[in-house]
Amino acid sequence: MDKEELWQAVLAQIQFGVSRANFATWFRNTKILSKKDGEIIVSVPNSFSKEWLSSKYHNTILKILRNLDNGIKIINYTVQLEKPSRTKSKSISKKREELEINQLSFNEFKIDQETNLNPIYRFDNFVIGSFNELAHAAAWAISDNPGLVYNPLFIYGGVGLGKTHLLEAIGNRIVENFPKKNVKYVPAERFTSEIVRAIREHEIENLKTKLREIDVLIMDDAQFLAGKEKTQEEFFHIFNTLREANKQIILSSDKPPKAIPALEERLRSRFEGGMIADISLPDFETRMAILKAKCEEKGIELHSDVLEYIVSNIQRNIRELEGALNRLLIFKKLNNKSPDIDVVKKLLSNLINFPARSTTYKKIVQAVAQFYDLKGGDLLALTRRKEIVRPRQIAMYLLRFELKESYPSIGRKFGGKDHTTAIYACEKISKELENNESLINEMGLIRQRIYSESL
Amino acid sequence: MKIEILKNNLKNGLEVVEKIAKKNLTLPALSNVLLSCEGNFLRLDTTNLETSISWWVLAKIKEEGKIAVPATFFSSLINLLKEEKIELRSQDKNLILETKNQATQIQGMDPEEFPIIPKMEKEEIVKISNQKLLEALSQIIEIPSISQIRPEISGIYFSFKKDLLKVVGTDSFRLAEKTITLKEEIKKEVSFILPQDAIRELINILSQKDGHTIIYFSPNQILFENINEETSHSRVQVLSRLIEGEYPKYQEIIPKKYKTQIIVKKDDFQNQLKQAGLFGGKISEVKLVVQSKDNQLKIYSESPEIGKNESYLPIKIKGEPIEISFNYRFLISGLQNIKSSEVIFELNGEDGPGVLKPVGDESYIYVSMPIKLS
Repeated sequence: MDKEELWQAVLAQIQFGVSRANFATWFRNTKILSKKDGEIIVSVPNSFSKEWLSSKYHNTILKILRNLDNGIKIINYTVQLEKPSRTKSKSISKKREELEINQLSFNEFKIDQETNLNPIYRFDNFVIGSFNELAHAAAWAISDNPGLVYNPLFIYGGVGLGKTHLLEAIGNRIVENFPKKNVKYVPAERFTSEIVRAIREHEIENLKTKLREIDVLIMDDAQFLAGKEKTQEEFFHIFNTLREANKQIILSSDKPPKAIPALEERLRSRFEGGMIADISLPDFETRMAILKAKCEEKGIELHSDVLEYIVSNIQRNIRELEGALNRLLIFKKLNNKSPDIDVVKKLLSNLINFPARSTTYKKIVQAVAQFYDLKGGDLLALTRRKEIVRPRQIAMYLLRFELKESYPSIGRKFGGKDHTTAIYACEKISKELENNESLINEMGLIRQRIYSESL
Repeated sequence: MKIEILKNNLKNGLEVVEKIAKKNLTLPALSNVLLSCEGNFLRLDTTNLETSISWWVLAKIKEEGKIAVPATFFSSLINLLKEEKIELRSQDKNLILETKNQATQIQGMDPEEFPIIPKMEKEEIVKISNQKLLEALSQIIEIPSISQIRPEISGIYFSFKKDLLKVVGTDSFRLAEKTITLKEEIKKEVSFILPQDAIRELINILSQKDGHTIIYFSPNQILFENINEETSHSRVQVLSRLIEGEYPKYQEIIPKKYKTQIIVKKDDFQNQLKQAGLFGGKISEVKLVVQSKDNQLKIYSESPEIGKNESYLPIKIKGEPIEISFNYRFLISGLQNIKSSEVIFELNGEDGPGVLKPVGDESYIYVSMPIKLS
């Protein structure tokens, strides 16, 4: 007789000698935890049950168990706290949401403690278009078969285009499909600080053991590993261990592995060893689809010329689309009517007119330097070091084509170079852009940085 | 059982223990108080299987024994008595109460039906003055809200580390943390989450008497004990289950820096917020505007159905100018727990958390998230 049957037999006999209320109160959620060398350990949900069983029913239980199995000598009781049942009372939370539509809450609390995943990121609220369908297909395949299809999956693309959304959606779907899998989402920055903390507190071995138990490791913003040698080394070992055990690894970055500066070669080649998928800029139709989906989600109806105005003016960033929509939402709440096109133009003026096509020399230099992990001053220094020459040419190209600066003035800005140097740089980059895929990509990502507000 | 006891002593005890003795359909014994003799004391026990309260009253024990009687009923009866000295005695399942001029008989129940209050292995010990503990708990108790989805944040978090005790509560929109310095360092780091109800009872008990509370830990329950200084015997014990689960890493929520810092007179700020709150409409939204050039805080609220309100307060400013909206109730509930005459208010952009703290006191921090700006 196994331990489940044994305990059922005990309960079956004991119910006759106990009132129903007592039986329901004290025997609820009890079970035999282990049976070894004549010792039975009974788990009970709280200390009250433990006291009650051990002082009132101990002899009866022992007698019944002995009758069933005379090898049993001792019974011990142990308290195992009940896991809180997570009732997903969606109706309540939804009602609350409506009431407190704009009351912000601590984002940290929405996140699942075990996996670090935020449940709001799902596949069914991810809009697919030509710009992200490859990444989406790979992500979906992985969530069906973690560890077996593309390993690692490396997704890259610009700010606010849904990398994090896709990554977390994979995690959430795996948790749903394979509840036993140990999924962990960790931004590279957090990973680095974990490593640093572990080294300081001499707990690095603990951390490693913990990381090796992961079935699906999702690392966001892997470009932050750049230049952190010790972290890269630890990550390299963990990567290998997980990869060999067919554990899924998913990474994201704002640029392809090749373009991440100060990344160890062996790590780079591993990042490239699975599947690389990019997310580029969404086209007009997709942006429209996204905006419409968001309108539906937030329960606001907008006129088609309003939608068109937003979509054609906000091109580079889905997060900004959402920001624009939020402004309209607030307007509607305050005035009890949907905004018309003139109002929308006014409401969104600083979102659309301010960053659109307005950038500065400083911003470009800073963005290029940051992208290639250089200091802003490096680009302006008089040097022919290879790692500087190329970024400098790219910066010159951008100054020419984004700001329409004259060649002589570009030359002067970069440490008093001749205008011919500037012409040469621009022509070289223009030419290369015609057939070098990775440069086109890099350029797109740099442009995005130039026009994003965060710089 | 046969004892003699002073009415007021019994009354004080019953008033405390009766609160958690509620009607329970599956287990009727839970609405009772268990009276039992222990040495020279009458012991009163009540429980709801989550929290248990035990109280000891000095009594003249003539005959040992125990009995369970309906708690609320017994308490009301004792409250009405005029005489000081009472004799209690059990007869089968009845409790007979006699004074000089009267005799009553209360139908009780078999004391064996009453749940057994779990014993604690008393190992780790912390001693805190009632007053300090009371202050901390009262500053936190109102913040958590009962959440089915996140049971762990519906409780109050205690974290002991070295010589510090941190008490934390949150409802995911705001969070308060109080730090108490302990007299002695504790050996082991301990943290746990207690249900709000247990803390309410504890606050009620702590507010009655000065002295010290001793806290005992065990993996599934916590015991708070108050010692009676005259008899050096335990006066009252509150035993509570723990809430299972891991408390969120709340430290990440408390901003380490600020973009804007203002210092303002607390009472004025509180009053102006209340006034502005009247115009805050359904979502209680009040807008604050800080302009660095004029050293003033503008408090503004408006709703289409009610009207609008605008007021100004003199402040000290560091950092960037800002416009930000809050639920005024959230700010007031933080301000209420601040005793200093001036308060520091730190802001982190229009959608970042705002932090309230007293001037010259680092032990209390209150964080509230804003309302998205309209």
